[in-house]
Order: sequence, then C-alpha cells, then structure tokens
Amino acid sequence: MIRIVAAAIRSRVVPTILVIIALTTSMALLLTVDRIQQATKKGFNQSLGGVDLVLGPRGSGIELVLYTVFHLGKPTNNITTETLKDIERNPFIEWAIPIALGDSHRGFRVISTTSEYFDRIQFDGDQSLSFIQGRAFQELNEVVLGSAVASELGYRRGSSIFVTHGSESLGRTHDDFAFQVSGILNPTGTPTDRAIFVSLEGYELIHLGWKSGSKIVSLDNVDISQIPRERLYPETITAAYLGLSSKLNLFRASRSINEYPEEAVSGVIPGVALAELWSMVGSVDFVFRIFNWLIIGVSLIGMVTMTLSGLDSRTRELTILRAVGATPVHLASMVLIETILISVISVLMAIGLVRLSTGIAADLLTRWAGVRIELTWISLAEFSVLMIIILAGLMASLLPATLVYRRSLAQGFSH
Amino acid sequence: MILETSALTYAYRTGKQLRFPDLQVSAGEKVLLVGVSGSGKSSLLNLIAGVLPLQMGSISLKNFQYGQLSPRALDSVRANHIGVIFQSFNLIPYLSGFENAHIGLKFSHRRRALVGRPREVIENLATQLGLTIDLLNQKPTELSIGQQQRIAAIRALIGQPELIIADEPTSALDPEATTLFMNQLNDSINPQTQAVVVVSHNPSIIPLFDRVITLDDPQ
Repeated sequence: MIRIVAAAIRSRVVPTILVIIALTTSMALLLTVDRIQQATKKGFNQSLGGVDLVLGPRGSGIELVLYTVFHLGKPTNNITTETLKDIERNPFIEWAIPIALGDSHRGFRVISTTSEYFDRIQFDGDQSLSFIQGRAFQELNEVVLGSAVASELGYRRGSSIFVTHGSESLGRTHDDFAFQVSGILNPTGTPTDRAIFVSLEGYELIHLGWKSGSKIVSLDNVDISQIPRERLYPETITAAYLGLSSKLNLFRASRSINEYPEEAVSGVIPGVALAELWSMVGSVDFVFRIFNWLIIGVSLIGMVTMTLSGLDSRTRELTILRAVGATPVHLASMVLIETILISVISVLMAIGLVRLSTGIAADLLTRWAGVRIELTWISLAEFSVLMIIILAGLMASLLPATLVYRRSLAQGFSH
Repeated sequence: MILETSALTYAYRTGKQLRFPDLQVSAGEKVLLVGVSGSGKSSLLNLIAGVLPLQMGSISLKNFQYGQLSPRALDSVRANHIGVIFQSFNLIPYLSGFENAHIGLKFSHRRRALVGRPREVIENLATQLGLTIDLLNQKPTELSIGQQQRIAAIRALIGQPELIIADEPTSALDPEATTLFMNQLNDSINPQTQAVVVVSHNPSIIPLFDRVITLDDPQ
C-alpha cells in the first residue's frame, strides 16, 4: 500500500513539493530563531564571568555592557581615573580593572587595561583565562592577542603589529610605535577571542602626540625611555570592571556608585542589564513567534487543502481500490499515510535546514559579537515541537480521511 | 452454485424502490443482465459486489450469506472471490498496465497464493486477451480504450475469483471490438470454477451469452 501511496504522491509531485517547501521552511524558521536566541543568551551570559559591576558614565546600562563586554557600539563618554580611585576605596569593592577602548587592529578591538585583567576575568562560569603561548604584557610595547585574532591574522609570539586609531579600518595608523606580541590566549568562545590587549600606559603613549583623531607630534623623535611610567597613566578611561568582596552587597554597591557626587557615573550589574535587553527583545520575539506558528498552521492547511482538492479527481482510483477489496479503512489510511509521509519528509528536511542555517548564523554571530554557539543536530525540546507539528498535520488530515471513509461506505462504486 | 439472490429489493434515498429478479449462476455460466437506464443495473451489481448494504432479500456467493456478514467481511469476500470490470476509467492513471493488473491481488491472500508468480500469470492473461507484453509497461494514458479494458479484465481475472462482474464493459468499443473483447473474456475464464455476469443495455451482445435476464422497466 505504501507503494501505491508513493506512486500517488509522485503523480502530484509539484503541489506536494510546494507543500513540503512551505512546511520545511516554516518549521526551520521557528527552530532556527529559537536556537539562535537561546544560544545568544547563553553565549552572552557566559561572557560575563567574574565581573560583578561595570563602572561607566551614567546612561544606558545595556549600552555600557554591550560596548564594554561585547564590543558592540561605541562609548559615548569617558570617566576619570580620579573617580575610579575614589570608588576603589569603597569597602564593598575588592578589585577594579580599568579599560580604555577606541583603537583597533585590522577590524579587531584593542582593549587597553592592566595585566590583572587576565587573572580576574572569567568565562563560561568560573573558568580563568590562560595563555596558549607566552604571557601577559609587561612592557609598554607588549600586546596580548585573543585566540581568534592570532589564528585569523596568523600572528605568533614575537609578531609585531601597529594599532589603528578608531574602530574603523579607515582610521589613521599609529605607525610610529610597533607592539610585539607577548602572549596569545586560549580560546574561550567569548568576545575575548576577538580582542587585542595592551597596557593602559602603552595605549596612552601612542596617543601622546594626538589631538581629536590626528597625529600632531610623532613619537619618532621622542626618547620613550625618558618618559616616566607614572606620567603615562591615563586621566580618563572608558569603563572599569569591578569585583566585590561579597556578592550580597551587589545592589548596595551599585547604588552607592550611582550616588557618587563628583562625577555622573553608574555601576551596572551586567546580568541585570542583559536581562533588560532580553525582555526588550522578548516582546518582539513573542509577536514573531506567533506569526511563525501561524505560518506553520497555514502550511498545514495548505497540505489538507491539497489532499481535499485531490479527492474529487481521485474518486476513480478510490473506486478501483474498493473494487479489488480495499476497505474504507484502507482508503482512509492511504490518505493519512500520504500526509504523514509529507510531514515526516518536511520534518527531516527542516532538521537539515536548521543545521545549515544555525551554522551560518553561528558564524555570523561569532564574527559580530565574538560569542560562540554550540551546534547540535536536534534537542529533545525541538523534537517534541516537531512531533507536535506532525501530530497537528495528522489531526488536520483526519478531515479528508474521514471524508473518504464515509463516502466509500455510503456509496457503491461511483464514477 | 456460485451466485444466488432471492427477493432482492433496494430502496433509494429518493423513495424509489426496485425489485430485482432472482439470479442463480453456476460455474462456467455467462449471464447477461439487460435493462433500460434506471432499471437498477448498477445497483444490482453494487449489491452483488457487497459495496451497497443489503436491505431486503438475500445474496449468497459460494458459502457466504451477505446478510450475515459485516461490511469488512464483505470487503474481504469481494477481494477474494469477485473480479470487477467497469464501464470506463478502469485504471489508476499513475500506475503502469502491469501494476494496474497486479492490484487485483493486493488485498487477497487467497488470490496471491493461487497465482504464485504474478508476472507469468499476468503475461499469459495478456496474451490470451490479445495484448502484447510490452503494453504492460505503458501508462493508461498511452493505451487505447480497448487495451485499457483488457488490463482491467486481467485485474479481474487474476487469482481465479469465482465471479467476474462487468458493468457495461464494452460501451466505449465499436461492435467488432465488442464481440472480440467479450469472446476473449469468456474464453479466459475457467468453466469449472468461474462465472461471468455482465450488465448491458446493448442487445447486440445477447448471442454471446448463455442466459439473458431482463430487468423490469421501473415505469
């Protein structure tokens, strides 16, 4: 009987393929969006390891977290190192790591910070950063590379690089001062992989002769060894990562930073900022999801419509099958088998398509935000969603099946 | 005795009621039922085939009393013991001639077991009915009406069902072809075990049959 059904499907191959395409793409869309969303959340959340608060200029907490941790967007304001010193004295604060952003190297962000960064910042829960090659920067001209920077640009320990002013590759290069790679970090699956780290002082040094984006005085004629290290400590930074002695004081510490009188700064809890972001995305997402289920519903209706409209032209074949002894149940189950076959083929194709599309999306997301997504074939939850869809298709095709059953029961051989 | 009906009456939903003559058909017999349109020829065939529910009277095929059988059991009686040939559109359009003929075995263990090697049997029947073997690989749309009717005859004959019923099987054929087809069909049955009941309104085929039964004009 399966053979007859297969031949019947083959005889109506074009509408069947169209229905399969509609079902496949709508299911794949649902699963892809769902996967990317979950993976993005997971990826973003595990990039925040070790940091209790982000200190930055007053403004949107989401924006601050996005441009500091994820290198998305640009800092609007700086904060003074004076303020940072004051806030470090706060008894809740155990450690503070200043960061200054702005420059880049061939599309990768340069983060200037202290070497404590590599001890304090964690990823994926409580994993510490570690070096695959070399060590943290010590000298002014030393630089540490994230794993993706090193592998994509082919750098090793000892390679020398120039830094470009600004984040665009069109910016002017600090071509009067070369950095040497002192170490390369192990992969983390976080934005760290796509970052370049220099010391605050080295960063200050290459900007010494600069004013509003252009070089005024070149370092070529300056004897760098004569500049005392303390003089190179910056007066302003982009932000700072803070660690608390006890997480119980998180909200109190945040509040006391927000109330700092000398400068308009805020202490943002990264998890809270991200939760705000997800809830903003969530309402859009909800509407999208409703539409997506509607598309799936419409595709299923399309499948049933195809079956129903085919019934009249198939009266002949159903009559012939009745004549050779097929029971009404046989005929009804032929219709069901047909729709089950279509649904199952669609589901299998959707799984393949999801794999493909999440692969592409994961690659884009890694390039865009440095977040790595784990790829899997199919999860139990996804499997149950697909089963629900198959079940819905089965329920919907009970209509044409019952019709066939009742017709063949009530009528004799009809022509 | 293969087929026996008595006091068979059928009431339509419209209220019209038909009383059919009693039939007794034994092995080797070729019986023609003639009647004007509206005399209930098709309904009688449907009743004998077991696809219309028996209302009044009785039908028995071999040892099966239709009145005592469930619809499901009637379907299996049809699958095992009856071959049906329709007036036209006899074949499933997306199956080849061979597959269309083979479908006659699909729902019957008994007929499958009797046939053994389907390809051989189908090819033999095809030759007997005047078809060349290569026509079995064609799709119905590539066959003439006469060829389609012969494929339908193979489907009805394969596996030795006791009763072959045919509803106006030659209405689309010219008089010469009609005679040829009916002769080939009649020659293909096993007179020890099989019988043919044909319904027609065409009196010209009367000489080809052992017995003619006329259905009452309802008017």
